[in-house]
Amino acid sequence: MNASASTMSHGHAGHAGHDDHGHGHITLQYQPGLPLSRGKLIMWLFLSTEIMFFAALLGSYVVLRFGAPVWPKPHHVHLSEPIGAFNTFVLICSSVTIVLALEAARANKAGLAKSWMLLTFLLGALFLGVKGYEYSAKFSHGIYPSAPRSRIYERPDLYYGSAVRGRLEELRREPKDAWQAMQYKWAVAWHRSPQAAAIHGWKEPETVDRLKELDELPETALTAEQLDARRKLQQIQKMVASPDQQAFDMAVVADQVMPLPAEGPAEAGDVDHGDHGGGHGPHGLNDAFPWLRLPTVIPGGNMWASTYFLITGFHAIHVAVGLLVFAIMLTWKLNAKRAEAIENAGLYWHFVDLVWIFVFPLFYLF
Amino acid sequence: MSDHGKPSHGPVTRVGESADETLHHAIEESHDSHAGHEGHGGIGKYLLVFLALCGLTTMSFFTYSAAWPWRDQPQVGWAFMMAVSCTKAMLVILCFMHVWWEANWKYVLTIPAAMMAIFLAIMLIPDVGMRNRMVSQERALHMARTADVKLLEEASKDSPLADPAGH
Repeated sequence: MNASASTMSHGHAGHAGHDDHGHGHITLQYQPGLPLSRGKLIMWLFLSTEIMFFAALLGSYVVLRFGAPVWPKPHHVHLSEPIGAFNTFVLICSSVTIVLALEAARANKAGLAKSWMLLTFLLGALFLGVKGYEYSAKFSHGIYPSAPRSRIYERPDLYYGSAVRGRLEELRREPKDAWQAMQYKWAVAWHRSPQAAAIHGWKEPETVDRLKELDELPETALTAEQLDARRKLQQIQKMVASPDQQAFDMAVVADQVMPLPAEGPAEAGDVDHGDHGGGHGPHGLNDAFPWLRLPTVIPGGNMWASTYFLITGFHAIHVAVGLLVFAIMLTWKLNAKRAEAIENAGLYWHFVDLVWIFVFPLFYLF
Repeated sequence: MSDHGKPSHGPVTRVGESADETLHHAIEESHDSHAGHEGHGGIGKYLLVFLALCGLTTMSFFTYSAAWPWRDQPQVGWAFMMAVSCTKAMLVILCFMHVWWEANWKYVLTIPAAMMAIFLAIMLIPDVGMRNRMVSQERALHMARTADVKLLEEASKDSPLADPAGH
């Protein structure tokens, strides 16, 4: 601000009067609005729009989270704090390496700059890899964005009971070959009806009764844990089919399908060697037999999943774009001429890091 | 008004020089001052900030550990973590994004953006944050409540299925 003010006064008082003798008119010289290069100005303008973009997303998350009557604990949705902290560390490291790449480029050390840039790229890729691993842990627990809904139910009520019943019925006639079943589904959709599909030679795929198969397995074929799970599954089938079920029964069913782990690291001492994505704590039927894919109850889980996948998804897209930029830059000679480009890419990358600095505590520790 | 003490300052337009030339001149000048001055960054400073960031991450992770004394008051942890996050964000913005060494244009961009971001979040409160104050009967029927969490916890504690018959 004061720089521009001093410029104006210098320009007028100091020189303008003297230098204009020959011309007879005053040519006014305007200095550019902001004293920085165009590339950097545009990057900063872009970043200010990005600030508002993520402010809207994170703001909505905070407002939704504190406005909701119930919000799941990180454990309830199988988030692992140590994995989140590790990813934070990875991004911080990559922020340092890109800044070192910039310093090396400014000092005209192209080779060094390229190695730092490569390291940044690898760290970013590692971040995405860990993120993908976390996503797969969510998917395997039935937590995913889906239309009209995921496998998550909000309350252990009659609707939940009927959803479990529905899934159990599905399991009684599961297609033998999933790929064939999908092709058949497409064919029916294409020909508009099963009858029309049949004319074109599409037969309904063979089905198997997965529950019966499980019941008929000899005890020796199952581990102690699976044996226990099988017994519980049989009991659950009776419970959801019973006409005189109590409200509490559905909570028992939900607890058996996927228990909400107790909170806090004190009792969950096995955090570090827990299976993927913080799946420590008691195991449910869905863990014992992953093919069951029974509906689960996570109070507040649907809104949680929406915000989680939206925000971490957008963040991951930003990381991927950063990686693309770095990949392009890695084909260049990163000498002092490229320093400004590296600086701009770095600004973007630091911003991505910045977003994660807020995402990590908001999702993993709140 | 006086910029003399500062290493980085805006360009001074000399008459006869086009604005663009001035800009380039200024940028070169400021780059020179970076290289020469070494006040800008410096690897030691970056490493120091890196260590600070790691320390701060550990601090916010500490709220998750069993040693955190305010486990029964989550608000304390939230406030603590937000303070830590803001500190980390400031470190990244000031040091890694070089804002500390930039000329005063930085305020032109960052302050309005920050203010609009804060207003945006505040404006979300009435429609989004308070959307559960008044809900339709249908939504109330399917909405999770704290009572449901209690019910699930109870079911987990004294489930009739918890003890296998063999035990």
